Amino acid sequence: MLALLRSAAILAMAGGAIVLGLVFWPVGTPPAPIELTGDVNRGAYLARAGGCIACHTDVASGAAPLAGGAPLKTPFGAFYPPNLTTDPDLGIGDWTAEDFAKAVRQGISPKGEPYFPTFPYPFYANFSDQEIADLWAAFQTVPAVPEPSPEHEAPFPVNQRWTLKLWRAMFLTRPETDPVDGRSTAWNRGRELVRGAAHCGACHTPRNLAGARSRDAAFSGNEDLPGGDTAPSLRPADLRARSWTVENLAFALRTGLMPDGDSFGGSMGEVVQGGTAFLSDADLTAMATYVLDSD
Amino acid sequence: MKLKRNLSAATGITLIAAAAFAHGGATGIVKERMEGMSAIAEVVKALAPMMQGTAPYDRDAVRSGAATIAAHAGEAMTSKFPEGTGGAPSEARPEIWQDWETFTGLAQQLEIFAEGLERAAENGVGGMPAQGGMMGGQGMMGGQGMMGGGAPMMSAEHIGQMPAGMAFAMVSQACTACHTRFRTEEK
Repeated sequence: MLALLRSAAILAMAGGAIVLGLVFWPVGTPPAPIELTGDVNRGAYLARAGGCIACHTDVASGAAPLAGGAPLKTPFGAFYPPNLTTDPDLGIGDWTAEDFAKAVRQGISPKGEPYFPTFPYPFYANFSDQEIADLWAAFQTVPAVPEPSPEHEAPFPVNQRWTLKLWRAMFLTRPETDPVDGRSTAWNRGRELVRGAAHCGACHTPRNLAGARSRDAAFSGNEDLPGGDTAPSLRPADLRARSWTVENLAFALRTGLMPDGDSFGGSMGEVVQGGTAFLSDADLTAMATYVLDSD
Repeated sequence: MKLKRNLSAATGITLIAAAAFAHGGATGIVKERMEGMSAIAEVVKALAPMMQGTAPYDRDAVRSGAATIAAHAGEAMTSKFPEGTGGAPSEARPEIWQDWETFTGLAQQLEIFAEGLERAAENGVGGMPAQGGMMGGQGMMGGQGMMGGGAPMMSAEHIGQMPAGMAFAMVSQACTACHTRFRTEEK
């Protein structure tokens, strides 16, 4: 009996030590200084492509752009996209470019805390220093809005940020945005956008029980999106079966119009209106070329 | 013979049931507005390939199609959304009646854009429109109008000067803006 108690105590202490270890385990790496000069328009374009504005703006409530978005209601809780305006206390006005680089590419806050993966930072990991500098320059032009970001509503243990360090260790992989030899420029540009900034897989790839994307089911669709929405398969054969072509898909990303004469609504409507509607013809055609694998 | 008659009766009933199902069992004013939406979708589906350069441009089809859209938009549309007609089988979200002004504004915008397209039909399709806004050197907030759903109201005359492709894109974007905000997507 005493031996049993003693083993239980040792186990508890070991468990506590592991948790403490996780709590203090530093994650991420300090980014090299961002010394390049950013281009506001290029950064704004990337912010559109990346969905920053679409997600961090609560359009339905008529709130100011980037002052914080409507909550994403997931099986793990409700997550509020925070205020990204230049307000020094309630936004990101007191950040450095390096803080910003670490947040976007690594998903680590200036305080060293990992972000919840509702923020699609895993897709942004390959952004170049120039792209980060461009984005940072664009964010400097956003008027400060003194709007507090609501706390995420996540139950225990999800609300323990140290558990995210385990999640990162198990599931975080680099996005496959590098060009592939032998494919067209458009296809490779589409790949860079679709698997990077535009993070199509965040919705169109199903997630496992831990909320990580199922890598072997990439782009096969997701029946269980936040808020009861669904995302159809983006696999080439499935898209073709639903009458999609490079031309009408590029047009859909510009306007929201689908081949059957209906339009997108819900979260894809938001993606188009706050994001892809602002991209160039060449980029929309590239995205369509890549997902339809048609070069 | 009797069996055959029974079979065809059963087939008839099945067909009626299928037709009812296609409208989600909607009746009355909900069915009417769904039919209005379907009429718009039919036109848009026919015109889209012309605007995407995959079908020959037909200015008469664009002109008459635009008139059909306009006839189902604006007041003609919003008058079919009396309060208390939300909920299944309707896909209308309660926000329509909580934010009636935005809803009617978008329906009115669709009417003006469609009237603009009707005038623009003779201009030819033109290139695929770029959104501008963000690219215009105005920093991050260049596209603000788009995001608020409150783009400055353009007149049909003004839109009538544009290439038809651009006017058609505006019509399509009006559909998306309203559906994103006011239509349920839950399956």
